[in-house]
Amino acid sequence: MTLLDKSRAPVAEAPRPVPPSRGAVTLRDLGLGIRFAAAGGREGWIRTLLTAVGVGLGVAVLLLASSVPHLLDERNAREQARGETPISDSPDANSTKSDSSVLRINTTTEYRDRTVAGYLMRPDGSTPVLPPGVARFPGADEMVVSPALRELLAEPGNELLRERLPYAITGTIGDAGLRSPGELLYYAGSDTLTTAAGGHRIAGYGGDRQGDPLPPLLIVLVIMVCVVLLAPVAIFIATAVRFGGDRRDRRLAALRLVGADIRTTRRIAAGEALFGALLGLLIGLALFLVGRQFVGAVEIWDVSAFPADLVPDLRLAVLIGVAVPLTAVLVTLVAMRSVVIEPLGVVRRGRERGRRLWWRLPVPLAGLAVLGLWGRVEEYAPVNPFPITAGAVLVLFGLALLLPWLVEACVNRLRGGPVPWQLATRRLQLSSGAASRAVSGVTVAVAGAIALQMLFASMNADFNRMTGHDPTRAQFAGYSESVTREGATAAIEQFRATKGVEVVIGSVEAYASKPGDYAEEDVQPTTSLTVGTCETLRELARIGACEDGDTFVVHPQGDKDMTAWVDETARKGEVLEVGTGEKPMRWTLPAGSRTVTGRVDPMGDPHYGIMATTGAVDAGKLPGATITTRIRVDRSVPDVAEYVRNTAARIDPGMRFVTLDSVERDRQYASIQTGLRVGATAVLLLIAASMLVSQLEQLRERRRLLSVLVAFGTRRSTLSWSVLWQTAVPVVLGLAVAVAGGLGLGATLTWLIGKQVADWWLFWPMAGVGGALIVLVTLLSLPPLWRMMRPDGLRTE
Amino acid sequence: MIPEGSLLAAHDLRKTYGATPALDGASFSVHPGEVVAVMGPSGSGKSTLLHCLAGIITPDSGTITYAGRELSAMSDAERSALRRSDFGFVFQFGQLVPELTCVENVALPLRLNGVKRKAAERTALEWMERLEVDGLGAKRPGEVSGGQGQRVAVARALAASPKVIFADEPTGALDSLNGERVMELLTEAARSANVAVVLVTHEARVAAYSDRDVTVRDGRARDLEHAV
Repeated sequence: MTLLDKSRAPVAEAPRPVPPSRGAVTLRDLGLGIRFAAAGGREGWIRTLLTAVGVGLGVAVLLLASSVPHLLDERNAREQARGETPISDSPDANSTKSDSSVLRINTTTEYRDRTVAGYLMRPDGSTPVLPPGVARFPGADEMVVSPALRELLAEPGNELLRERLPYAITGTIGDAGLRSPGELLYYAGSDTLTTAAGGHRIAGYGGDRQGDPLPPLLIVLVIMVCVVLLAPVAIFIATAVRFGGDRRDRRLAALRLVGADIRTTRRIAAGEALFGALLGLLIGLALFLVGRQFVGAVEIWDVSAFPADLVPDLRLAVLIGVAVPLTAVLVTLVAMRSVVIEPLGVVRRGRERGRRLWWRLPVPLAGLAVLGLWGRVEEYAPVNPFPITAGAVLVLFGLALLLPWLVEACVNRLRGGPVPWQLATRRLQLSSGAASRAVSGVTVAVAGAIALQMLFASMNADFNRMTGHDPTRAQFAGYSESVTREGATAAIEQFRATKGVEVVIGSVEAYASKPGDYAEEDVQPTTSLTVGTCETLRELARIGACEDGDTFVVHPQGDKDMTAWVDETARKGEVLEVGTGEKPMRWTLPAGSRTVTGRVDPMGDPHYGIMATTGAVDAGKLPGATITTRIRVDRSVPDVAEYVRNTAARIDPGMRFVTLDSVERDRQYASIQTGLRVGATAVLLLIAASMLVSQLEQLRERRRLLSVLVAFGTRRSTLSWSVLWQTAVPVVLGLAVAVAGGLGLGATLTWLIGKQVADWWLFWPMAGVGGALIVLVTLLSLPPLWRMMRPDGLRTE
Repeated sequence: MIPEGSLLAAHDLRKTYGATPALDGASFSVHPGEVVAVMGPSGSGKSTLLHCLAGIITPDSGTITYAGRELSAMSDAERSALRRSDFGFVFQFGQLVPELTCVENVALPLRLNGVKRKAAERTALEWMERLEVDGLGAKRPGEVSGGQGQRVAVARALAASPKVIFADEPTGALDSLNGERVMELLTEAARSANVAVVLVTHEARVAAYSDRDVTVRDGRARDLEHAV
């Protein structure tokens, strides 16, 4: 101190800053983190973008999922709006004819495994009601078509469909009249349609018939489909938040050097994650809005949607908007607990001890317990979705928690092996957490899919009905009520002449009754009269030797009551009344008719009654007769089904024409399966993207090391194999967890619905898909790996 | 063109990165067992010259001859094989594979050459003993100091019995005491094994361990004793 100092007035002490409140500190640190993420230079932006794009993809999928309820509502509303308001199903409902009523018949057909819905319509008056989306009633031999059908008809190679729908296109059906943009639909005009030809009269559109409610089993399926598809998305978002974590930790270490404490660094990291998540929300929203514009042009497994139908449910959208940033912050804070960030850029893993099983294992077990205690589904009782959802979510997330422990426990035991194996296993030993995180999405998705497959398989019998059809005897069957008399025999001949047709079992059928006066309460003995060639009748009854002109009384097999009923009607040598209506034809059943036993036809229907060859009865003269054709084709003829359908449409556009299949799937069940396929594809692509980003991030971190390895002559193949092993080891372990967990969850769910496990080996296809993901991610990682193996990484100046 | 008796020689090398010339007519040679320091300021092209000599990158023009064979006539696979068998490398930092232990790192070039794991690790331990890091075999690079890590890297460069060691600023990240010990061990071991060393440095103190200096300035190498 000097004298001069003495004379100087004492310097006023700098005012002590008032310590900010805890909330203010948190906000300040979060803000700092946001600033780092937003303006952290190229490195910072890469990290933020990685997170944001990852979160954005997840958010887009969640928004899509939250739009499904609205999509289904809109679709159902349009379907109801075009439903019929019938007047009467009676063929002679002429009294209700009006200026606006319309006579119409369903002419829906199939074309190359796609359904082409269609109606033939005839106006009763001058102002016929119009179906939704149709501006003008089509005239005779004209049709209005959906845009998808117009496009299909215009495409080359679809001549057979144009031949089947030989109407002039005079208009397009608007969106209001379509279920989805990909729907194939037409309304054709007619001036000849009659009630006798199968037409029925309608007063308008907009039936109030509600769709059938989902049975309890299907509700369980829908819940599981949602859980299985959305759980991996949640895991994907949680993984995306941690993209670029190592780089961020290094940056935070620099902050520690200038005095930030550990809590501050955690809050700053949370701020960065928050910004990434918020940016991800915006990117997700943008992806969703942009993707929605193109959704109308995309059709996967016959599923398409109008962009306007994809509107997220408001409550779900708000939930996504809140949950995603919150998850990002929580995941970051939890992740930061396992690292110690010190000054001087030292980032050391805080966890020296291994991962513990004791708190991980109870989570999936708790899920199974919830399912077992509260998830039981009764056949006719309403389903409580909450225990099923909670139980399944706990099991699936529990599997994701078990995986890091398993990967660590297994890779720590791996020793030796060739260089690529050694590089991969050592890398996994050093950071098994990152590898587990990348694979946890696959694990959850595969486990869920296995459980679902088991559930589907156990319900199969409930929703897949055995039809009794025998496709080896005939593959198609057609019925027509409007082709009668001479037309009937001609129609059968037309089928016989169709390209690719091998056998036509074509018969003309009418009712034959015992004549007499009957009281109102008495039932007139009636049976069927079937007329066909000997070959045809042989397919319907065990007639033995047969010549044209023969007739048979056919007893049903093993049914005494019906046999007696047939004998009551079909009295040999006696007169019968054939046909319905006012003027039945009288015909005498020849006394020499043989009695034989009936057969089941290719449709699975038993045949009995009276059978007559074409020489015995003139089929063309039978009143009220219908024709039934069962057709066997040569499958090797291309488009043989379309030739046969074209013949049917030519004979009678209203002919009911079906493809014979031994199994018939329930429509709701089938659409849930289709929904699962569509969703699973999207989720697996998301997971592949997540794994790829993690892989590329790791490679980027090791860029310099890769260059050094190349410098001393490491082969490309050595490093490629090491990347493969590095991906494969955790994925194989993940698949093992997924198979075990999926089988456990599947067995529990199957037990819940009171069914038996149908097949324990259903996991193979899903395990195969997981394997394919390994190969895909490895292959996609190779080009960047090879790029990073260039010597540029050695340059330090 | 090629100095008599030289093991590795380069003549009139040119290399550009985009519009920036890194080498502009550089020439160089080294004899077996000789330690040559390549000096020059930052950005002068020292490292590029080293990478060209080692066959890591190919020059735009000029010739490099190693043991009578033209490097530019070799395929990428042949040059990689040459690096595995005849060359060793020491870099400034980030060269040890972090997930492998030190002994596994030293054994890595041998294993890449097809030597069995146990034999490779036996040889590696011998070299680690010689480089005075034999107690670190089971440790990972993250668990040893910078000087120890650099000695492990030198042991790795020598393990596969190379003919030439390329050292790019090998002491750049070390303090002077550790740097000098690393240089002593490197040059001693190289001379005793008759291994040539191409040493890129900008420190005169490090260059003092060499038999000869080559200065690179603006992409041109000025070889003071073997002007070619």
